[in-house]
Amino acid sequence: MWGKIVHWIEVRIGLEELINKHLRQFKTPKGATFWSTLGFVTLIAFILQAVTGIMLLLYYIPHPEHAFKSVQTITNEIPYGWLFRLIHNVGGNIIVAVIIIHMVHVFLRVSYKKPREITWVTGVLMFLLVLLACITGQLLPWHQTGFWQTTVTSTIPAFLPFIGEGISSYMRGGESVTGITLSRFFSFHVVILPVFIVGLMLLHALLIRRQGLSTSPTIEPDVDIAQQKKFSRYDHLEGQPCFPHFSLKRLFMVLIYFSVVFSVMTFFPNLFLPPESNIQADPITTPESIRPAWYFLAPYQLIKTIPNDIMGISLIVIFSVFLIFWPFFDTRDTERNIRKRPLLLSLALIILALWTILTIWGMYS
Amino acid sequence: MDHTYNLGDVLMMRYVIIPAIVLIGIVSTVLSHASYRETFEKEFMLSPWAIAKGEVSACIQCHTSDNMEPRIHQHVLEWRGSWHAKNNVSCHDCHGGAPEDASMSMMHQRGFKGAPKDIEIPGFCGTCHIAIQENYIKSGHGKTFISTGEGPSCVTCHGSHNIQQASMDIINEQLCSQCHTYERAKEMKQALFLVENKLNTIAKDLKRLKLFGIGTDMQEKAFFRNHAEFRALFHSIDVDAVRAKSNDFVQKLAIIEKEIDDSYKQLAYRRNFSAYLFLLFVGLSIVALLLSKTYEQKQDLK
Repeated sequence: MWGKIVHWIEVRIGLEELINKHLRQFKTPKGATFWSTLGFVTLIAFILQAVTGIMLLLYYIPHPEHAFKSVQTITNEIPYGWLFRLIHNVGGNIIVAVIIIHMVHVFLRVSYKKPREITWVTGVLMFLLVLLACITGQLLPWHQTGFWQTTVTSTIPAFLPFIGEGISSYMRGGESVTGITLSRFFSFHVVILPVFIVGLMLLHALLIRRQGLSTSPTIEPDVDIAQQKKFSRYDHLEGQPCFPHFSLKRLFMVLIYFSVVFSVMTFFPNLFLPPESNIQADPITTPESIRPAWYFLAPYQLIKTIPNDIMGISLIVIFSVFLIFWPFFDTRDTERNIRKRPLLLSLALIILALWTILTIWGMYS
Repeated sequence: MDHTYNLGDVLMMRYVIIPAIVLIGIVSTVLSHASYRETFEKEFMLSPWAIAKGEVSACIQCHTSDNMEPRIHQHVLEWRGSWHAKNNVSCHDCHGGAPEDASMSMMHQRGFKGAPKDIEIPGFCGTCHIAIQENYIKSGHGKTFISTGEGPSCVTCHGSHNIQQASMDIINEQLCSQCHTYERAKEMKQALFLVENKLNTIAKDLKRLKLFGIGTDMQEKAFFRNHAEFRALFHSIDVDAVRAKSNDFVQKLAIIEKEIDDSYKQLAYRRNFSAYLFLLFVGLSIVALLLSKTYEQKQDLK
């Protein structure tokens, strides 16, 4: 019976050829480690967010009078609604951590160099869009935490000269966070941002497929496609087959991702749901402390610390611009082994240390 | 010469991005007038919701100014630590007036009542605490106060500005023995003890369940209703009647306790289910790791 099904499919779509060509014969570099699978883990994490998000969408009502109640209904009355909500909530935070680790790994491997500049740019743009998805998502349950986090977050762009007030006003749909903001954030969270993210994801994946995974500068220092004048994919004939070798690495890391999500749900179910997230949004009651989500603590603390407000927000804009276009700044030195580039390594470590310090400072300030 | 590199290098870095960044830096320095903190405070402290909370009100600004006697300052300080303040009940909610308008804030035309005379106190507090006022008037305390103008009014036991959440602690020897012996009050306290304990436990449980995202609206409503009815008993000084009614409360509270117990079971189920999934995925990841290592070894042997 199974054989008949496989044959039926084989005749129509040539499954075996597809598997052989794209999985068994497709070779990955020798230096492809578990860290090299983080992009794939992000893809699966995004799909998980989409699936759980669709489940939540079946019962969620994007209206200030019903949003909180509908989320309470999902959590407490819909069978296993709590599971989908918690996976979506915890997954939304862990995916950001995975993307950050992925970016740090790519940076330390200096994998963004020619011909992978566009891959880096699309990756960073996706990261920024995921952060926007997090910002828009946190308002949807219409609880105190989300309401006041949105109030703070939507105030920050207002410090930009000329266009700042416009951005803030557009985000909120008026002077303050209201039902208009909720509808606006809902549209962005469930339709507009996912469409752009999926578009960039396809481009990102297509480029990786065309160029192959980047090699490790320490394991394969001789593979230097940066010097090529025309496009050609290095076949890594000495490398591992994508299936089953590299696919098992990917599977392992995806399972680790799920394990992390479920461990947070088991041992720290309220890690990303502070007490105020169980209280309906109330514009006349300001919580004792309003803090943005952990991944925004560093920029938030930076703006708070720098006495010149426009300078603070400008620094973040400058950093984002540098981050997006970094491959075009780092063009002089073709060396990809970061151990041989102490200046670049120091820059990476200083930024990571500053980011960590500002995050911890923001957490306790 | 690599044309792609020249285009990226020259256009992006040297002539577009760096000058743009420098421009942003200069513009930001020139245009900045207020610090972040000032803007933040302007955004939040002067917003309509902050006025509604009563923190920025003409009453507080004037009563805490240097022109006022320390005794007047004390009223505001006491109120800030009170149960009323915690529940956003501000000066004008009791004393009337217009806190948003300093020049008209104490005009009778704007509903300003000022401080009540002693005999007016039950009616003053009863504006909001309607059922409690009725209960008090029927009690020995109330009857004495209304008929003679002497004896305990609301503020005798609860205070005027430093009002705390009503609890059994108000019945204590120090306070009661100001007017009479403590014996009867002690019996009252003993009669109320069981229900009070149950109410405290239920309140803590509901708070805890809420932290875990369990919907407790129905239970909270039932709790609030029972809590308010039970508090009304405190003003009665009929020990036998209190004992009889306490049993009714125990039965009513047992229904809420049962629902709380079910919610805890649901929480335990959620935790166990997540733990099961966690262990399942840890197990599967170990299998995937071992398989991966096996294939790697095979590859190395080749």
